[in-house]
Amino acid sequence: MSRFSRLLREAARFLWSSRAYTLLMMIGLIIGIASVTVIYELGAGVRERVVSIMSGMGFGADAFFVSSGGGRLGVRRPGGGSRTLTPDDAAVLARVDNVAMVVPHLTLRRDRVSHRDLHTSTVIFGVTPDYGAARRWDVSMGRFIDQQDESQRRRVTVLGSATAEELFPGQSPLGQQIQVGSVPFTVVGVLEPRGGVGGPGRSRDDLALVPLSVAMRRLAKEDKLSSIRINVERADNFQDTVEEVRQILRTRHKLAAGVPDDFTIVTPDAVVELITRQSRAMVVMLTFISAVSLFVSGIVIMNIMLVAVSERTHEIGVRRAVGARRADILTQVLMESVMVSVLGGALGFGLGALLSWLLEWGFDLPTAFSLQGSVLAFAFSAGVGLLFGLFPARKAAALTPVESLR
Amino acid sequence: MIRLKGITKTYQTGQVSTPVLLGVDLEIAGGEFTAIMGPSGSGKSTLMHIMGLLDRPSGGSYLLDGHEVCDLTDDQLSVLRNRKMGFVFQAFHLLAQATALKNVLLPFVYAGPYPTDAQERGRRALAAVGLEHRLSHRPGELSGGECQRVAIARALVTDPDLIFADEPTGNLDRRSSYEVMAILQGLSAQGKTVVLVTHDSHVSEMCSRVVRLVYGRIESDQRNPSPLSAAAMLAGLPPEQDQP
Ligand SMILES: Nc1ncnc2c1ncn2[C@@H]1O[C@H](COP(=O)(O)OP(=O)(O)OP(=O)(O)O)[C@@H](O)[C@H]1O
Ligand SMILES: [Mg+2]
Repeated sequence: MSRFSRLLREAARFLWSSRAYTLLMMIGLIIGIASVTVIYELGAGVRERVVSIMSGMGFGADAFFVSSGGGRLGVRRPGGGSRTLTPDDAAVLARVDNVAMVVPHLTLRRDRVSHRDLHTSTVIFGVTPDYGAARRWDVSMGRFIDQQDESQRRRVTVLGSATAEELFPGQSPLGQQIQVGSVPFTVVGVLEPRGGVGGPGRSRDDLALVPLSVAMRRLAKEDKLSSIRINVERADNFQDTVEEVRQILRTRHKLAAGVPDDFTIVTPDAVVELITRQSRAMVVMLTFISAVSLFVSGIVIMNIMLVAVSERTHEIGVRRAVGARRADILTQVLMESVMVSVLGGALGFGLGALLSWLLEWGFDLPTAFSLQGSVLAFAFSAGVGLLFGLFPARKAAALTPVESLR
Repeated sequence: MIRLKGITKTYQTGQVSTPVLLGVDLEIAGGEFTAIMGPSGSGKSTLMHIMGLLDRPSGGSYLLDGHEVCDLTDDQLSVLRNRKMGFVFQAFHLLAQATALKNVLLPFVYAGPYPTDAQERGRRALAAVGLEHRLSHRPGELSGGECQRVAIARALVTDPDLIFADEPTGNLDRRSSYEVMAILQGLSAQGKTVVLVTHDSHVSEMCSRVVRLVYGRIESDQRNPSPLSAAAMLAGLPPEQDQP
């Protein structure tokens, strides 16, 4: 057995025989590392969920949105305020080189919809036949809005599954009439349930789709769009196409140089930018919290180790008398503080991972286990043990054998 | 074995300097069983700590087996203590949370290579002090005499040449004292060099030599051609006599 492992065993024996001290030393680290782990895993989970929602929207590397209204993503809600995009804008953009598909879209205010004496309120989308394909929405019964609906301005609607269930509990809505405001529509299809949350207190299945032309003429009463979704042919020219679209829209909207855009271009990059900007702020905050908690835990460890060292003065003297070198005493005390802090860090990380799992399981909060986080927790707690163990260790090793035995 | 020449020791506490040893010349041959006696504060423990390499003298020369030890580094002194010496203290100084066997094995933690038969040697050392039935008792579960015998086992487990004992019987009753002395006499008979500090003239009569230290100087140094046998004294004690 090597000297190192013999010292390690002595250190472990101390931690085990002084369990109260060991627990006291670990508690700060456990709590600190656990809370940092929870925040970290929540952050990683939110990021993962955003990415999965984006890809669920078909918002990959080959598509971007143009929203009515100026401002910056994340500062002002895209599409808020007055609508500035027109169907003619969309038609012009469709002819731009490298543009594969243009999908215009109109989101209306939440409105009252009713069938006989049942009524609810829901969000109405004006969409074109391409919309379902672009967002990968399928119908569970009936059909989607088609080209005739759009060109002949038929008053037909495809309901979200939640809305359909509200208005037609236990019966098929197909062919039935509903009123949107004062306008009657015929139900031609119901969307497949998608589950999840689409906004504050709203299910993602709470909506009604109508042909874009009908939405503009009969409901919004203006020929304006909320947004235009643009798919490009070649992703390598993506940025050029975005810039070209911007210039065309500025010209069409007669914006003089220096006047800000009256629309917002939302690229996948911009969304990622927004998320990383927010997570960068979170990283700074996390770093601060971790630093404070690690520092406090370190101070606690240092003080308890100092007490333990002075209580063991005679023991250290005996160890020196039977042949321990200064370095042996120093090493053992450092081993004790590093072991206790690594153990505390590991327990804290385990507790944090467990809490995150409970949050996900109990409250459906998105979390993501992070290997990187566990390595960091391990490294930092080992560092704390080493750093704050140094002073007690040096103190323990400083005394001569007689001084310790007195 | 031990050759001290002009050993002085002065403690410096701030402005105050306390001269304790004022020039000690002493030679101890291998196998001798030496008692150091003297009034309290005369420097007995200080002298023993210097001989045991637990402390350094302020001046003078100390040849151990013909080698000057005053020039050695701290680490070299540790190695010598581990290989050549064993210590027994008045206050036992056992690790409270460790079993008797673990206490006895402590010197092996700091031995160069860890002996493969360490456990066996620990058991044998405890058997040599009559405690083979107390291997896994902790100090709190042992009597004072048993604790001191564990400490002796710890001192002899590495089979050292030199055993230093600072008032080993100071906290013990008569019977336990005789038991401890019988063990130390046995070690001396095996050829080990034993140096013992004591106030008890009964104890010093069991040693082959008595050095009297007074105020930092050796006042007398007497050979004792026929030391009392501790084993015989023990046998002569009435069965239940526990008075000191
Ligand atoms: N670290 C120290 N600083 C100052 N003085 C000290 C120190 N250690 C010991 N002394 C002094 O040195 C003197 C001798 O001490 P030592 O312990 O050697 O005496 P002793 O002969 O063993 O006495 P006792 O029989 O009471 O154990 C004492 O007067 C003591 O006060
Ligand atoms: Mg003394």
